[in-house]
Amino acid sequence: MSAGRRIALAALAPAACLPAGQALAHASQRGYVLLLPTGYYLAGGALAVAASFAALALLNPRRLQNLLGLRLPLGRVPDRWRFAASLASFLLLAVLVAAGFLGSRDPLSNPLPLVVWSLLWVGLTIVQGVFGNLWRWLDPWYAPWRMLSPWAGRAPLKPPAWLGCWPAVALFLAFVWFELIDPAPDDPYRLAVAVGLYWLATFAAMLALGHAEWSRRGEFLSVFFGLIARLGMVERTPDGRLLLALPGGKLAGAPALSLPAMTLLLVALASVSFDGLSQTFFWLGLNGVNPLELPGRTALTGINGVGLALACLLLGGLFLLCVWLGERMGGGERTLPAAGLLVWSIAPIALAYHVAHYLTVLLVDAQYALVAISDPFSRGWNLFGTAYMPVRAAVAAGSDAAWTIWNVQAAAIVGGHVVAVVAAHLLAARLHPCRRAALVSQVPLNALMIAYTVFGLWLLSSPAAG
Amino acid sequence: MSKNTSLSRRTALKGLAAGLVAGPGFVRYAQAQASAPIRIGFQAHRTGIGAAYGRWYERTTSAAVKAINAAGGIGGRPIEIVVEDDGTDPARGAEVVAKFASQHKVDLVYGTLFSHVVAGSAPTAGELKIPYYVVSEGYHIASGKMNRWCLQPGITDVRAQVTSVAPWIAGNLGKKVTMIFPDYAFGYDHRDYLPAALEKAGANVVAKIAIPPTESSFTRYFPQIPADTEVLYHVMVGPAVLTFVKELGEFYGSGGPQLFGFIDSLEAVDINSPGLEFLNGSHFWEGSPRYAQANDSEAQKAYRAAVGIDDNGASVNDAKDISTAAHMFGCWETLYVIKQAMEAAGYRGPEDRQKLVEATEAITTVAEGPEHPQGDKVFDGRIHQVFGHQNISKLEGGRLNVVHRTSIEDGRYEPEADYTTQSF
Repeated sequence: MSAGRRIALAALAPAACLPAGQALAHASQRGYVLLLPTGYYLAGGALAVAASFAALALLNPRRLQNLLGLRLPLGRVPDRWRFAASLASFLLLAVLVAAGFLGSRDPLSNPLPLVVWSLLWVGLTIVQGVFGNLWRWLDPWYAPWRMLSPWAGRAPLKPPAWLGCWPAVALFLAFVWFELIDPAPDDPYRLAVAVGLYWLATFAAMLALGHAEWSRRGEFLSVFFGLIARLGMVERTPDGRLLLALPGGKLAGAPALSLPAMTLLLVALASVSFDGLSQTFFWLGLNGVNPLELPGRTALTGINGVGLALACLLLGGLFLLCVWLGERMGGGERTLPAAGLLVWSIAPIALAYHVAHYLTVLLVDAQYALVAISDPFSRGWNLFGTAYMPVRAAVAAGSDAAWTIWNVQAAAIVGGHVVAVVAAHLLAARLHPCRRAALVSQVPLNALMIAYTVFGLWLLSSPAAG
Repeated sequence: MSKNTSLSRRTALKGLAAGLVAGPGFVRYAQAQASAPIRIGFQAHRTGIGAAYGRWYERTTSAAVKAINAAGGIGGRPIEIVVEDDGTDPARGAEVVAKFASQHKVDLVYGTLFSHVVAGSAPTAGELKIPYYVVSEGYHIASGKMNRWCLQPGITDVRAQVTSVAPWIAGNLGKKVTMIFPDYAFGYDHRDYLPAALEKAGANVVAKIAIPPTESSFTRYFPQIPADTEVLYHVMVGPAVLTFVKELGEFYGSGGPQLFGFIDSLEAVDINSPGLEFLNGSHFWEGSPRYAQANDSEAQKAYRAAVGIDDNGASVNDAKDISTAAHMFGCWETLYVIKQAMEAAGYRGPEDRQKLVEATEAITTVAEGPEHPQGDKVFDGRIHQVFGHQNISKLEGGRLNVVHRTSIEDGRYEPEADYTTQSF
């Protein structure tokens, strides 16, 4: 028996020794999805991704490159707005952290957990992926750093080059662990402590190393959001002009990523995939956990902590294996630099999984956030007129909603993989000037993407707890 | 009618304001303004597997607190609810109880639903000597396995529910019953208590089919149902319930035995969902009816309006938001029992917690009315458990109509414990 399983059973023991128990695990939205012909979607998704690859084989990468290079001017956003936006963001964060300490203890009434998890993590990631780097403007450190840094742009310390953005990877892993494994990431007080400390530590690092330097190396949100923003359709030139691009258009000129940045992207996909897996009957059954009477996050910490680590290692290993195989087949020699470039094709999949996985949470919790933000300290305020707005918590409930949500999820997963295939095609052409070699080199990675499409759809359609 | 569904200081303030302006408790409240509020720690399943139930427990609690405060509160003092999310996690449940006692300094803890969270939290409530009022329907309290600080005065336990429906099943649906249930504690309550109750009523269980909790396809189990089965008693829960019903329909076609189930299988789920067609004409246990009934009392109507559910048992704000009507009334009634016991004990503060438990134990009956809209009840102080009438409803015309209401005596069983002999 595994250690994790022992923990789970130990936690179940008090309940199990009782003569009675009641389980109110209810027929949730997933129950309706179980009635849908999801098998066809799995097959259709795999076919669509495979067909995209076949179609691309006929298309000259140069023409694709030209197409993706198209830009439409949208206007101009001067850089001076950045200070004001960042200052507003900082003040909002300060209010939210104060609300975490002083406001309601209920995670669905306190604005801090709702804004951090639903609007920032779930919502802003999607905004970044669809539009572009809004985070650059919302970063709550920039304005305070500009105001307080006596060195304004001249940092007293310089981190060693070998450090790369590994600190951001380590912090991102800690963040993912907090979100997915920690027993109570929604607890307003604990979250306020975590957010407050993270803001202070980051600010100190920025004072010491410079805002731009630490944003590139250690501030995991800036690093992650920056990577995801590459998928967005809006591009901002250094002189402040905004340009509209095709989805994935900005990937055409993307530089090869360093090993830590590559790791971060892979962890992003692996973690959201594992979160989906960890709720399935398959995973719970594998670990001897009764999905109808889930013992709670505390009892699952060990099992899911190990599972998360394994998921990251497995996806990283599979990706590198596919790149290595592809490079061998295509006559390339250097796996890591190739992987650094090809890993961009993982970004649209990570975004697609993120959308599909968090869609229902976003639909419901964003409403709670709107209510909570009107009365952040539970004082009876109604700042924005939304304090008494009825929350439609069942917006994702029922058979119609289940059908709609499932189709949106399936479209996101398949669409994300198709964009990934296109990106891989484009990036492989940069690695292999010979068209044939470029094409052959993509075969293993494309096989992985087809498998991951099926896996993603299976995750969303198999029986799950909660 | 309350359209506000958020239980927070906002609700309490709004409720108090209503009381001050129009409520009959104005004078009493005004006299007691100097008194601190009664602080009730609400151990809520806001996240985790119980969140759908937690949402409605929160709404019902909010409505009851508003009504109690509008009428003058408890002994002239308003109720203030402090919500802590337990994540439907037994370990966090214990932490939450400790936090309520030491950090929030509440007068009592209330509102837990899931059995395993009750089991995980009860020892802490006992150690910290804080009254712990659960709304769980589990047999855990009545079994004597908890401690003197744990009480369930607002909802009948599952053993009594199962026992009470047996005579009606035997008398109306058939004498040969096959049970199909999930293979864990919830299913075992039914497996262990139904057969004896049926035998007493002249029927018997001809087969017990336990389904592994991770199962999501059921067709291969159906051949185990004996051919002479007259009643199929089903208590499946979880996301695969719809699949279970659909496959059962495919197995039997238009025929098959009579079906009897517990609404626990479909709480918060639209009974008219695709896949559930085979349940048409079948019967369900309901603690409190989901659908408004023609003979609803004024108290029942007022309760439904206060909580904000329409005639179909859905939220008045969202017809798709189906309530957990069969269970959530327990929150309303438990808060009124707390009020009754506190006023009887002359409760002043935490130093009177023991008196509060003793005063609750001393309750013997509660009358039907605005405070107990589900019906009159008998409270057994020895096992800290209340007993009420149960409803048997028929699914017809797309709604559940109550066809029988059990007597309180139908559900009574010989107590297996006596908490009153335990020291505090």
